[in-house]
Amino acid sequence: MISFKNVTKNFGSINALNDVSFGVEDGEFVFLTGPSGAGKTTILKMILREMLPDSGQVLFDNTDVTKLADKEVPLLRQQMGIVFQDFKVLSERTVFENVEVALAVSDVSQEEWSKRVSHVLKLVGLSSRSNLFPSQLSGGELQRVSLARALVINPKLILADEPTGNLDWKTAEGIMELLEKINKEGKTIIMATHHEGIIKHAKHRIINIDDGIITNK
Amino acid sequence: MSIHSKTAIDAIKRSPFQAISAIFVLSLTFFVATTVAILVYASNKSLSYFETRPQIISFLKNDTTVEAISALQNKLSQDIRIKDVKYVAKEEALEIYKKATEDNPLLAELVSPSIFPASLEFSVTDLKLAEEVINEIKNEAIVEQVGFTANIGGEKSLGDVVGRLKTISRYVRFGGIVFVGVLAVTSFLVLLTIISMRMTSRKGEIEILSLIGATPAFVRSPIIIEGVIYALIGVMIGWTLSFISWLYVSPSLLSYFGQIPVIPKEPLQFFILFAIILGVEIVVGFTIALTGSLIAVARSLKKAR
Repeated sequence: MISFKNVTKNFGSINALNDVSFGVEDGEFVFLTGPSGAGKTTILKMILREMLPDSGQVLFDNTDVTKLADKEVPLLRQQMGIVFQDFKVLSERTVFENVEVALAVSDVSQEEWSKRVSHVLKLVGLSSRSNLFPSQLSGGELQRVSLARALVINPKLILADEPTGNLDWKTAEGIMELLEKINKEGKTIIMATHHEGIIKHAKHRIINIDDGIITNK
Repeated sequence: MSIHSKTAIDAIKRSPFQAISAIFVLSLTFFVATTVAILVYASNKSLSYFETRPQIISFLKNDTTVEAISALQNKLSQDIRIKDVKYVAKEEALEIYKKATEDNPLLAELVSPSIFPASLEFSVTDLKLAEEVINEIKNEAIVEQVGFTANIGGEKSLGDVVGRLKTISRYVRFGGIVFVGVLAVTSFLVLLTIISMRMTSRKGEIEILSLIGATPAFVRSPIIIEGVIYALIGVMIGWTLSFISWLYVSPSLLSYFGQIPVIPKEPLQFFILFAIILGVEIVVGFTIALTGSLIAVARSLKKAR
């Protein structure tokens, strides 16, 4: 599903990614690990085409995303669900609306919105919070909103950038349980994290990156 | 309600003072635009009235025979430059005088038909021909004096009358267009500023929407809807205030200008005129909103990239 081929990215004199190559198969759950600044987020940003490499190819379903025209980028992103460390929820919209907006963006028929949003909110355990605003939620709940928004469009791939980074251990475990459940339903998940406990506990393939170089696949 | 309309309305509710200032400026613009449109209409109608209906009165000598009057009337009627020839006898002239002085009946009581000369009244098909016709008719043996009824402001010559009307019309048109233009540009800039501010305050939201796959059109839609809402409310308020004002002054205007059709006398025509202005203003308002919003959004998205 995802394939990086000899990808290099420099930020001035800093070598963020150096000839990085790896692949992720359909239905896999992969951890991208490494210290802060190792290049984990850069990899996720390239899959999302938020950032372009200096050289190399980034393939998503055999399409080189680096070659996509700007107008094709939204369509690419609509096939992916994204979970951020800082949640990135819309502060002036309710939980329900935050999830609903992903469907609106993806051009899903308005008749389906209510049913699909209610379904994912139930899945992440936020049914009773659907009319609350983000300021009324805890960190764990906000991350579950972010996860619900990612799931509601039924994406092929879920990108999670340090989804447990801002959460306590117990809450992080809850989020991981959800991700495991989603993975078992067939979704491909690439999760950037440096949370040792989670990595050891989950036992999935690890792609470790250090100073822009992959040290194991 | 679509998600874009809901977002736009929520944005308006969150920043009511920005919304009020945009609507205020747009209302002022369209109030002035409606008022100027009516003034331009009135000046055009007045000009057209005087251009197409210049009444020339040839006062006849007292001892003129009926045959001589009839001969001149026939001669004038056959002239292709002249239309609507009418003979006004002394008695009719008195009646006209009485009607004109009905506010002060004493003035009418002091006169008798004998002091009013009989006359032949007519119009010319084109105002340009009036001077030449007047000069010709002055040479007729039975004509004592020739007058032109469209004198305004004390002008003596025909050229002055039309010239002055044209100048007034030109000033109204030019001044009105400049004034409305300045206000329209101000509205456009205010809208541009408010939409730019809105884009800045929505920067985080736009970034998130873009990351989850929103197209530029999806990001733009609520902002454009917001601009259009401001413009439409501005048009409706400005137009309504001007409409009510004209409705209020119309009886006085119609009475003051008498036969000159400065504004339509028929209620239906009056409403049709205002409906046309409203239609044009909606199109203009929509264009201002759309252009302003698109420029503001394009600039903000360009900066964000």
